[in-house]
Amino acid sequence: MVRIIQGYGQLLLRAMGQTLLLALCGLFFACILGMIFGILSVLKNKACNIIAQIFVDVIRGVPMIVLAYFIYFGLPYGLNTLGGFNVTLTALQAGTACLALNCGAYMAEIIRAGIQSVDIGQMEAARSLGLPYWRAMQRVILPQAIRTMIPSIINQFIITLKDTSILSVIGFPELVNTAKNVVANTFMSFQTWIIVGIMYLIVITTLSRLAKMLERRLNRGRR
Amino acid sequence: MADANQNIKIHVSHLKKDFGKLEVLKDISLDIYEGEVVVIIGPSGSGKSTFLRCMNQLEEVTEGEIIVDGINVTDKKVDINKVRERVGMVFQHFNLFNNMNVLRNLMLAPVDLKKADKAQAEKNAMEMLRKVGMEDKAYAYPAQLSGGQKQRVAIARALCMNPDIMLFDEPTSALDPEMVGEVLQVMKQLAADGMTMVIVTHEIGFAREVSDRVIFMDGGYIVEQGTPQELINNPKEPRTIDFLNKVL
Repeated sequence: MVRIIQGYGQLLLRAMGQTLLLALCGLFFACILGMIFGILSVLKNKACNIIAQIFVDVIRGVPMIVLAYFIYFGLPYGLNTLGGFNVTLTALQAGTACLALNCGAYMAEIIRAGIQSVDIGQMEAARSLGLPYWRAMQRVILPQAIRTMIPSIINQFIITLKDTSILSVIGFPELVNTAKNVVANTFMSFQTWIIVGIMYLIVITTLSRLAKMLERRLNRGRR
Repeated sequence: MADANQNIKIHVSHLKKDFGKLEVLKDISLDIYEGEVVVIIGPSGSGKSTFLRCMNQLEEVTEGEIIVDGINVTDKKVDINKVRERVGMVFQHFNLFNNMNVLRNLMLAPVDLKKADKAQAEKNAMEMLRKVGMEDKAYAYPAQLSGGQKQRVAIARALCMNPDIMLFDEPTSALDPEMVGEVLQVMKQLAADGMTMVIVTHEIGFAREVSDRVIFMDGGYIVEQGTPQELINNPKEPRTIDFLNKVL
């Protein structure tokens, strides 16, 4: 175990950095996608609702590993043979897209549920005072919705952080992929995977503690 | 009862409203005059709340016209927000904004819609709170208030937009009995100040005391209307008599 830490500690730490980078990139775009599709699904417009529903259904209905293979290998190949476009994606780009789509679909559901959990009377009261729909959304509905969304969003962030490990299949040098190489070099799979497990545990536990603190601060003083 | 030469504030003609296959309002025509206090009574499911909600277009109408202060609110091209600014509404379940304290509940619309700057809106809000006897709760959150207090704040919030018309949708139905009086008292004061009011309620005593006209609705129609003396003390239609027998 000590040999692994001495020999490969630096490498594994750098890989954890890559994992966090990938998760951050993915989450950033996932928030944008989630916001867009979440709001599309609560608008009083059938077409918008259907678009959002299709997005969520498709992404939820396909395992992320399939999505990853498709985006990294399938898409460039398809574009090349069918359309003659020469596109190659780096593993980071494909990984980000994959996480953003996957996490985005779940975020969309969290945001939709959060908005719908606010009593309809809140919107009616705001509208009855003459506030336009978007102002009412912004000033009255979203502030209340976000409060109920926060625990689910934090949970989704953690899931996404762990899901980066799936992207080892497209060769992104995140923690699991790097650890595989370490095992291949040292044959010490027992020790290596324990170390990797502990690294994930430390990072995720720290982040969820931070998130809890943030949540408590946001809820302070009000119900 | 209002004179015929008084200004018509709300003109409703041949209003119909369906929810899918369910016809809730079948053919409603009515004029409401400036300064008039109109109480709508009737059994549940008779369409009275829906009728009220059509007046500020919280419900879109299926057919017919509603003209509020000369503006046809059923016309899709009309900016309904402009009309709503002048038509206050009070709900059965209060609907105070839970994420704001009382003062900010009152100031939100006036400041956001640029009816007043912050200082002015705050001064006005405090005045309205005094009017409903809630000035000492200006910094409380809705969750900290009783039902009666919430409803008085809701009335004050509507008044902050300086409306010409106030709509009340069963304002006392969700209140504990001992809190009904404080809300009715505020409404009585408003009526005395000359506000045009349309009130859906089950408080027959209040209707008798305060209203200029009582309307009895059943099955999506206006069955009978008249002064409280006429309608409550001497109803003519069998359905009105039947209803009043049950509630009085």
